[in-house]
Amino acid sequence: MSRLAGPLVALAIASGVALLAPVPLAGQAPPSAKTGTPSRTPDGQPDLQGIWTNATLTPLERPAELAGREFYTEQELAEIEKRAQEKPRSPESAGTVAHYDFAQYGLDPNQAKRASNRRTSLIVDPPDGKIPPLTPEGRKRAAERAEARKRSGPFDGPETRPLGERCIWMAGEGPPMLPEAYNANIQIQQGPGYVAILQEEIHDVRIIPLDGRPHVGRKIRLWMGDPRGRWEGNTLVVDTTNFTDRTNFRGSSENLHVIERFTRTAEDTILYEFTVEDPATWARSWKAELPMVKTQGPIFEYACHEGNYGMANILRGARAQEQAAEEAAKAKK
Amino acid sequence: MRARLGVVAAIAGLLLAGAPAWAHHAFAAEFDANKPLKLHGVVTKWELINPHSWINLDVKSADGKVTGWMVEGGSPNALFRLGFTKDSLPPGTEIIVEGFQSKDGTNRAVGANLTFTDGRKLFLGSSAPGSNPDRPSLTPPKDPGKN
Repeated sequence: MSRLAGPLVALAIASGVALLAPVPLAGQAPPSAKTGTPSRTPDGQPDLQGIWTNATLTPLERPAELAGREFYTEQELAEIEKRAQEKPRSPESAGTVAHYDFAQYGLDPNQAKRASNRRTSLIVDPPDGKIPPLTPEGRKRAAERAEARKRSGPFDGPETRPLGERCIWMAGEGPPMLPEAYNANIQIQQGPGYVAILQEEIHDVRIIPLDGRPHVGRKIRLWMGDPRGRWEGNTLVVDTTNFTDRTNFRGSSENLHVIERFTRTAEDTILYEFTVEDPATWARSWKAELPMVKTQGPIFEYACHEGNYGMANILRGARAQEQAAEEAAKAKK
Repeated sequence: MRARLGVVAAIAGLLLAGAPAWAHHAFAAEFDANKPLKLHGVVTKWELINPHSWINLDVKSADGKVTGWMVEGGSPNALFRLGFTKDSLPPGTEIIVEGFQSKDGTNRAVGANLTFTDGRKLFLGSSAPGSNPDRPSLTPPKDPGKN
């Protein structure tokens, strides 16, 4: 009983407050296109709820050929999207070895809904659309990590395999969030005092408190960092620190600081912006933005560990190859 | 003209670079590109599990010996969004899979493509580029393999 009372009281109070706001009470009401005022959740937060996709054709960094050009023209964009549709990815075009027929298996990014974006790069600052150069310390760290990977022997055991293969974390989860190759779907759910963000791949939910509490102590390190949210007008600002260096973002250290901004710019669009700073890695902070558009749900469960036959197959494959090499060596003698 | 060439080059770049299309694990970590194979068999079980689906099938050789195989496929999430249901590939369906065997040499493989005995591709028919999850569900083939 007492477990229910708190949220119910909070809901009742929040509903009362929301009644005073000059926007429709119903959480599902669309934002007014004229004023840009988003609808509100029952407790009065600007409503970001729903299932979204951040799939995009736009690369994080600006291609060298487009130096100096921040935007495509509408005509160029139309051409790019048309070509992308006409040329489904295949093993050959992706430059990989034998692989799935991506379209057949639902893995072709062209099969996913995505937002149009005239930008030539997701990075908007620095103005050249490129990640700033690594500091000497950042370069040293990158070299050390590469060296450590060599020493550990990548197929020795699950611990030395990539986090994605281990079902622990995919790079696109971040934060900052960048689209996964497929399943680039994100669900946002809001409750009194919290925002929860679920990424379909690889099933992690970030639960973000909005009450202004400080970050956890410096010694506590989390795979996806320690997020704290606040509202600046209609924009949700999420400040994340306390990362572990195991999930480094583009070579960052554990002192990475990520600031994300979510703004509902239309009924079916959220503008997602992020700024990353890590003086131990980059000489300056940098910023990117991309639209997230509404997509059809539901999000399907990504119970990755339970079905991860791949890990056992991978390790067994490595053992089989070692054995074959040993036998070949013996046969030579 | 120069700018136009740049755009074309950028498009090519987008198509080539992209994200690693097999995000959960690299193909080469689990399978051997030097061991291509073609399996003609009957589905015994379809495991719709993440991070990859697995089709179990019985393959009968010329001498009548039946061997069980497991073939890795796309993520259920991706398949569902193409309109799949758990009934799309029922046990007893006769299929032909072209793919690549696992590195450990066991009866596991990755499917590169999958066809019914009458030549229909299993998934391709409803996965036109640009399609989205609004398309109707796929129904199982009318006449699944009998043997």
